[in-house]
Amino acid sequence: MSVVLPVQYQPPLPASMIRRDQPGAEAIELDVLVVGAGPAGLACAIELHRQSPDLTIGVLEKAGALGEHTLSGAVINPVAIRALFPDLKDEDFPFRQRVDHEGVYYLTKDGSTKVPTPPTMQNRGYYAASLCEVVRWLGEQAETMGINLFPGFPAESLFVDGERVIGVRTVPSGLDRAGEPTDVFQEPTDLVAKVVVLAEGSRGALGQAWRSWRGVGSANPQIFALGVKEVWQVTQPLDRIIHTLGWPLPAGAFGGSWCYPMGPDQVSIGLVVGLDYHDATLDVHESLQRMKLHPLFRPILEGGQLLEWGAKTIPEGGFYSLPDRLSGDGLVMVGDTAGFVDVPSLKGVHYAMESGMLAAKAIASALANAGTGDAAALSAYDQAVQASRITSDLRRTRNIRLAFKDGFAVGAIKAGLMTLTGGAFPGDRIAMPRDADVPRASQPPAEPFVPDNVLTFSKVDAVFKSGNATRDSIPSHLIVGEQVPGDVADFYAHLCPAGVYERQGDHLVVNAPNCIDCKATDVLGPRWTPREGGSGPTYRLM
Amino acid sequence: MKIAVCLRRVPDTTTKIVIGADGVSINEAGVKFVPNPYDEYALEAAIALKDAAGSGETIVVALGEDAVQETLRTALAMGIDRAIHLQGKPSADGLENARLLAAHLASLNCDAVLFGKLAVDDYGQQTGAMVAELMGLPCATAVAKLEVSGGRATTEREVEGGVEQAGCALPAVFTCDKGLNNPRLPSLKGIMAAKKKPLDIVPVSAGSGQVAIVSLALPAERAAGRIVGEGAAAVPALLQLLTSEAKVL
Repeated sequence: MSVVLPVQYQPPLPASMIRRDQPGAEAIELDVLVVGAGPAGLACAIELHRQSPDLTIGVLEKAGALGEHTLSGAVINPVAIRALFPDLKDEDFPFRQRVDHEGVYYLTKDGSTKVPTPPTMQNRGYYAASLCEVVRWLGEQAETMGINLFPGFPAESLFVDGERVIGVRTVPSGLDRAGEPTDVFQEPTDLVAKVVVLAEGSRGALGQAWRSWRGVGSANPQIFALGVKEVWQVTQPLDRIIHTLGWPLPAGAFGGSWCYPMGPDQVSIGLVVGLDYHDATLDVHESLQRMKLHPLFRPILEGGQLLEWGAKTIPEGGFYSLPDRLSGDGLVMVGDTAGFVDVPSLKGVHYAMESGMLAAKAIASALANAGTGDAAALSAYDQAVQASRITSDLRRTRNIRLAFKDGFAVGAIKAGLMTLTGGAFPGDRIAMPRDADVPRASQPPAEPFVPDNVLTFSKVDAVFKSGNATRDSIPSHLIVGEQVPGDVADFYAHLCPAGVYERQGDHLVVNAPNCIDCKATDVLGPRWTPREGGSGPTYRLM
Repeated sequence: MKIAVCLRRVPDTTTKIVIGADGVSINEAGVKFVPNPYDEYALEAAIALKDAAGSGETIVVALGEDAVQETLRTALAMGIDRAIHLQGKPSADGLENARLLAAHLASLNCDAVLFGKLAVDDYGQQTGAMVAELMGLPCATAVAKLEVSGGRATTEREVEGGVEQAGCALPAVFTCDKGLNNPRLPSLKGIMAAKKKPLDIVPVSAGSGQVAIVSLALPAERAAGRIVGEGAAAVPALLQLLTSEAKVL
């Protein structure tokens, strides 16, 4: 049995993401530039327009159309969207349905036991939704306000001057595999802004680059989970939301599954696994496929049809993984980029939106008072987050996810005590390693997974169902370590849900166009960098 | 040179189509709409013709309900100068739509009117030619090459095994085929500029016409493929099946 230590084979991000040269003379000038049109970025842009209607606001988005790279469960706590649109009623929001019934189950291979719903996991009165649809709707609201939305334009690097962020360069498009321009080549565009809002989502590349450049750490390193999700057409409506723990995950892995109704004839189903798992052959996609055959899920899906498939990482570190600061000269971080996710309640969307709105208020007042986004003025955003429910909620559950690092049984008992004591037990911070520092044991191969193409599907078929239409001949956007041995290639092949990595003999083969931007290997192995706009998945229902 | 382009908003060609409850329309919920791909060749050609002429105006015209304005903005972001939204529900009868377009285009006095050779949603392939007829203008369809000089146009159309060349005096109507050009993508600057370009809304009402859609149906599902065997040993069995079962040999 060999042991893989992921960090040994992980290359750094390219230093070129921080640019010290001048933006081009043709640069577009904006007051505020938001990188990422997700719930956090769009809530920020919309609130900013409300605060200061005269500001020129632009939102860059790497997906070809809004929402196409957005993925979440999702059961949404509507508190933030209500605050952003106080004149609208819940029926006006693009939710699928209200949660009225729920059940949490502990699964074994063949059975399930309903367990009491933990207080943190109660969802009655919240809404099941497709986050893609929410993002498209938010985009329509932003568009009618005159906010400039730029789908299909990923941010490649940050322009800096001294310690200040002054703008962004986009990724060029129309390059061939060798990086040479083709006849559809489009040069990168430079944008300069008084404030850049990083709303890149989970494991954002520019956020990592900025934090490492400015030395912005955190008490614990950020840790991540990988979620694989499917949306199914089903023959009868699902009467409740379902969460499960236990099988098909091994005892050394933290995670669980969900199945949510999405109206009368669709459900979403997914499996989330913490990337600090210990088994090098654990495969989240395959685990989800096996899980769908369980007696709890099979009757829900049988006779139905897979409509869409996707995957995405989730920042799970919580309170102790929050960056030491959320702002600097000319820059703020919002949403998943900052790590505003509460794992015990499985919620992040409303924190993302709220952080965007708080950032908007701080930016509006900084620009109104001083005309620039100085660190001192933008630190009002840090203070606002500290005084908000984001911090109080994450603080209350600060050690719960961390308690599971040594396995599920001990973790469950500790987590129960933490919930009862409102976070007072055990009080002190549980230290966590980076996910890439956790060694993985290569088990002998389990019985091979063979899809039935009815309820279960291979990674290749899954990627097709993500709508991935990446041009085959673009330059690879993945940076792979040198001399990756066979067992590490195997580890990547299991880790990546989209079949980007394959072991052939003792070599690693990389099928970069398969990539659906989930960022799982960016956490544990090969690094992800922004590529030509519109590449990757084209989610409509995720 | 003054050039008009008629634009249609269609479902993205990768969309999985679901037939609506009425059986004669598609269910638009969750469907991504894009400019008709053949119309993009027309938009690119219009921009290139104006650039080559050194002066003039490009105008994009679309008939449809309000959602078509998003598609018009995309055309403006590519570089078209202004947009006209003929606001109303199109008829199932292409002739009724052609009448509305022709009436409006007549008032623009363009040197050229460009269409895609067909719209990928209904494959009607008639609006461009009908508009030309209604306006009393010459028409070249499915042009894969279009050159203009001295008030005349020369065109090429790909025909079976060759190329057909034609020429006519301007003003004229052209419907554009793949191969005419590489349509540009909107630039960031173009997207910002598009917000400030004029988009005029003209309410219209299409006649009911003499054509109605009776029903829509999806193509029959293809049966799953079958692996006959592997390597040279499987060839006889494959030949046998291609002859007797598939009847293609």
